[in-house]
Amino acid sequence: MRPFELEQPRSLKSALKLLDAGDESVRVFGGATALMLMMKAGVFQPTRLISLRGIESRYSKATAAKDGSLRIGALTTLSALGRTAAVRRRLPVIAATLRTLSNVRVRNVATLGGHLAHADPHMDLPPVLIALDAQLVTAATAGSRTLPVSGLFTGYYETALARNELIAEVLVPDQTGRRAAYVKLTTRAADDWPTLGIAVSLRTDGRVIEDARFVVSAATEKPLRLASVEALLRGAVVNDALLARAGEAAAAEAELIGDARGSAAYKTELLRVHAGRALRQALAA
Amino acid sequence: MATTLGKSNSGSAFGRSIPRVEARAKVTGKAEYVHNLRLPGMLHGKVFRSTVAHARIKGIDVSAARELPGVHAVYTAADIMKLVPDPHYGPAFHDQPVLAVDKVRHVGEPVALVLAADPHVAEAAAQMIAADYEELPAVFDEVEAMTSKAVVHEVLKPAGTFPDLKHLKGKRDTNIALDFHLRRGDVQKAFATADHVFEHTFRTQQVLHVPLEPFVTVADPTPNQLVIHTASQSPSFVRIEIARLLGWPENRVRVKVPYLGGGFGAKLYIKLEALVAIAALLAGRPVKISLTMEEQFYQITKHAATLRIKSGVSKDGKILARECEVWWNGGAYADIGPRVTQKSGFTAPGPYDIEHVAIDSYALYTNLPAAGALRGFGIPQLVWAYESHTDMIAKALDIDPLAIRRKNILKEGRPQATGTLMRDAGIEQVLERLAQRMQWEKAFDRGSDRLRRGRGIAIGFKASISPTTSVAIVNVSADGSVMVNCSTVDMGQGSDTAMAQVVAEALGVPVESVTLVHPDTDVTPYDMATLGSRSTFHMGHAVRLAAEDARDKLMKLAQEVGLSAETTPIPDIFRKKYGMQAGNIVGVGSFIPSYAPPDAQGQTDNATPFWMIGATGAEVEVDTETGEFKVTRLVNLVDVGRPVNPAIVETQISGATLMQLGFTLSERMDFDAGQVTNASLADYKIPGIRDVPAVMENEAVDMVQQTGPFGAKGVGESGTFGVSPAIASAIDDAVGVRLTSLPLTAEAVYRGLRANAGRPLED
Repeated sequence: MRPFELEQPRSLKSALKLLDAGDESVRVFGGATALMLMMKAGVFQPTRLISLRGIESRYSKATAAKDGSLRIGALTTLSALGRTAAVRRRLPVIAATLRTLSNVRVRNVATLGGHLAHADPHMDLPPVLIALDAQLVTAATAGSRTLPVSGLFTGYYETALARNELIAEVLVPDQTGRRAAYVKLTTRAADDWPTLGIAVSLRTDGRVIEDARFVVSAATEKPLRLASVEALLRGAVVNDALLARAGEAAAAEAELIGDARGSAAYKTELLRVHAGRALRQALAA
Repeated sequence: MATTLGKSNSGSAFGRSIPRVEARAKVTGKAEYVHNLRLPGMLHGKVFRSTVAHARIKGIDVSAARELPGVHAVYTAADIMKLVPDPHYGPAFHDQPVLAVDKVRHVGEPVALVLAADPHVAEAAAQMIAADYEELPAVFDEVEAMTSKAVVHEVLKPAGTFPDLKHLKGKRDTNIALDFHLRRGDVQKAFATADHVFEHTFRTQQVLHVPLEPFVTVADPTPNQLVIHTASQSPSFVRIEIARLLGWPENRVRVKVPYLGGGFGAKLYIKLEALVAIAALLAGRPVKISLTMEEQFYQITKHAATLRIKSGVSKDGKILARECEVWWNGGAYADIGPRVTQKSGFTAPGPYDIEHVAIDSYALYTNLPAAGALRGFGIPQLVWAYESHTDMIAKALDIDPLAIRRKNILKEGRPQATGTLMRDAGIEQVLERLAQRMQWEKAFDRGSDRLRRGRGIAIGFKASISPTTSVAIVNVSADGSVMVNCSTVDMGQGSDTAMAQVVAEALGVPVESVTLVHPDTDVTPYDMATLGSRSTFHMGHAVRLAAEDARDKLMKLAQEVGLSAETTPIPDIFRKKYGMQAGNIVGVGSFIPSYAPPDAQGQTDNATPFWMIGATGAEVEVDTETGEFKVTRLVNLVDVGRPVNPAIVETQISGATLMQLGFTLSERMDFDAGQVTNASLADYKIPGIRDVPAVMENEAVDMVQQTGPFGAKGVGESGTFGVSPAIASAIDDAVGVRLTSLPLTAEAVYRGLRANAGRPLED
């Protein structure tokens, strides 16, 4: 790893000023867990890194609003997020996901903003946040904007963020009346990246599914909602046949990518079986 | 109370679970490691490595690197050869160059070295080096290497240390580094008359040790000596081999080894030492090379292997004849691979009493990173094959897996394939105790249609490497405290504690009064190496003999000054002799077991000083809809003779088992044209705490190694033997899918389920 300059701004505004839209070798970081791996591998050689850790503390915590929504600062570490009472109470799916997300050393420094901006399709929270219909607020010298988390990812390690634009906050709407689940499938060691991720959020009335969001990740270039599965579930009565049909629809729609963790054909079979299981898990939540 | 030599005051130090002597220093971060060593004027080395698997080097352009400010020097083989005209090293073959000479033979091979005071400058400069290659055809598969036109080494260069390699000297145009053959009886005739003949082929993948402390060496050229601080399991070998390369006497090379952050067989023989030593002499300054975790993937690995076994069996399950053919993928340099081929090769038929045996075992050169010793030294690969084969036979003949083993097990006093009679080998005891703990003869819960449960057992054995030497010194100070000088390396296995216990037992002093002097070839005498579970037995005997020598000398001294050694505190004996607290008693011990080399048929009546036995029982739960499975219980049984320290023995069993669990389920080096595509801990998956089976039981059966120090023998590897085949058999038992290649993956199980259902899954 080569030496580089380190900037430690005290405010988001000064951090934005340090960014240079034209220079690829200047980057910001939160926990730097992903960045360090890229630097060690020689894939990325920065001339200047900007640490966001010293900016206003409001970006490092999650706060619940009266309307039941949750506002999470982008610099909130994953372990702090998992410890936040409002998250545990209102978003148990996030708390559960965090328990098997990487390891405690990574969770203690990795931040939610970095987790999203890295846009690695193997990340666990993007599919979950998409299923929860979360939004994010960005900051740039030119101004801020709000976009859905599902709109952040444009491809493999690619986002809709401009080079001088940062994620400032994530907004998770009130989940009253909804149930959610995330299934992380690993096929090698338990703490591996997922072979396949499935996130589900349902609004139900008795045995009828009123609304469904169904997201696959890890075996795709970016987390993807499966429209055919969601359409099939909307308004349907829950039974074994429906869940089996959901699995068939998911396997038919998703174009999964094979890698060292499993072939595309096998991952498709995993999706076919685990789609129904993920829905069952959400219904039981 | 002052110590006397009377046993009554100390109690027995042997066989007690005393805490490890280094535990406190390690958990408080105070233990000494080479990684922490900084010397004045020290330069850091960064290696420039080959990006191609097999090529002639047309040129190396180091000019840009040399011009980078802060770079002290850039060396290639041409510079190395100014000091060492023939810069090739290795324990079995002198085939490995300090830096690539004319050719590169695997991706990652060191081609040039940059030295700089700032390691970041060295790294940046290394990236500025360019090599021009003329690529040659490469061979990666061990079976293809037998006949391939691509030849890794033009000429074989055996080291001369091993008599059974002499016939290979100067042999040309072959990738066979060693062929080992064993013949006993007449297998072909027995196959012709057997009721059934079974033949199966098995594969194991290339994996590696990944010690959490990567390789690291510092060399310091002092006026009279070259001092090498290195994370090595074999300080004595390093001294001898560096002295040979330099043409120096041994006493001008000093090798010091503090604690190791894991070894597992990786840090044996020469690894970084030759390069660092020569670079330090060329530079005239101390030089340090610390490999990154990623670079470890190109240093040393465990052999991938293809194993074919054929057995002639009677209709009631008696194995009459067995033929084994094993191809070991040794990678580009032999390292200790030829020893794996022979030493492990001769146990290839398994711990079974078989009249007719034929073994052909081949060490092959390929264009992959070199393979050497790794915990088990080839045995886990063999057990994987012969125990899977045993269960496939049992299933075909509808015989219970325990029953077929009972019928064929190699009993005490019976000849093994080499003709050596089994002595103090608790094969039956281990098997029977395993059956008991597994409650094998009771009904087993087979689970539901969706989650099927199954179980399997497997047993293996290993000979100790032989003949090898250990020498030790026990030094009693005038206050009665004791220092043990021995070159056994404590790499985490607890040898410091074990040696202290043996010395305390032999001297009859409290174990707290004994400390270990860490390997330093200026003061600790020769030891072959810390490998192959040999230290407890070999060094255990050497320190015992040294302690007994010291005890005899103290007795004599007491007698000389008219005191009773049994009742007089040790300090009083010294004070009476010297008039003050002064003097030392130095005891010396040296041990080499008897051994008879095998004849041309592989036969010998004394193949090993002791046998190691290990067995595993596994229970699994398989999801029939996806092939995903969980190992729910592992029961590990070993024969280690009398345990020196039961608590450490248990952690050695569980550690060995979990390491093999990784090699069974999740670890695999992936290659693309010889390049490792998953060379990092993020992508090469060793087991984590959540991969440990919910139930894991470890036990050493009640045995005594009559020829061992106080009845003990080695323990480091036995836990690895049965893990892979026991799990594969449990999967087969659960869902009827027999896997013959490692690692065992959920996808492979699923594909088996689909194939069984007549609906194979597309690729």
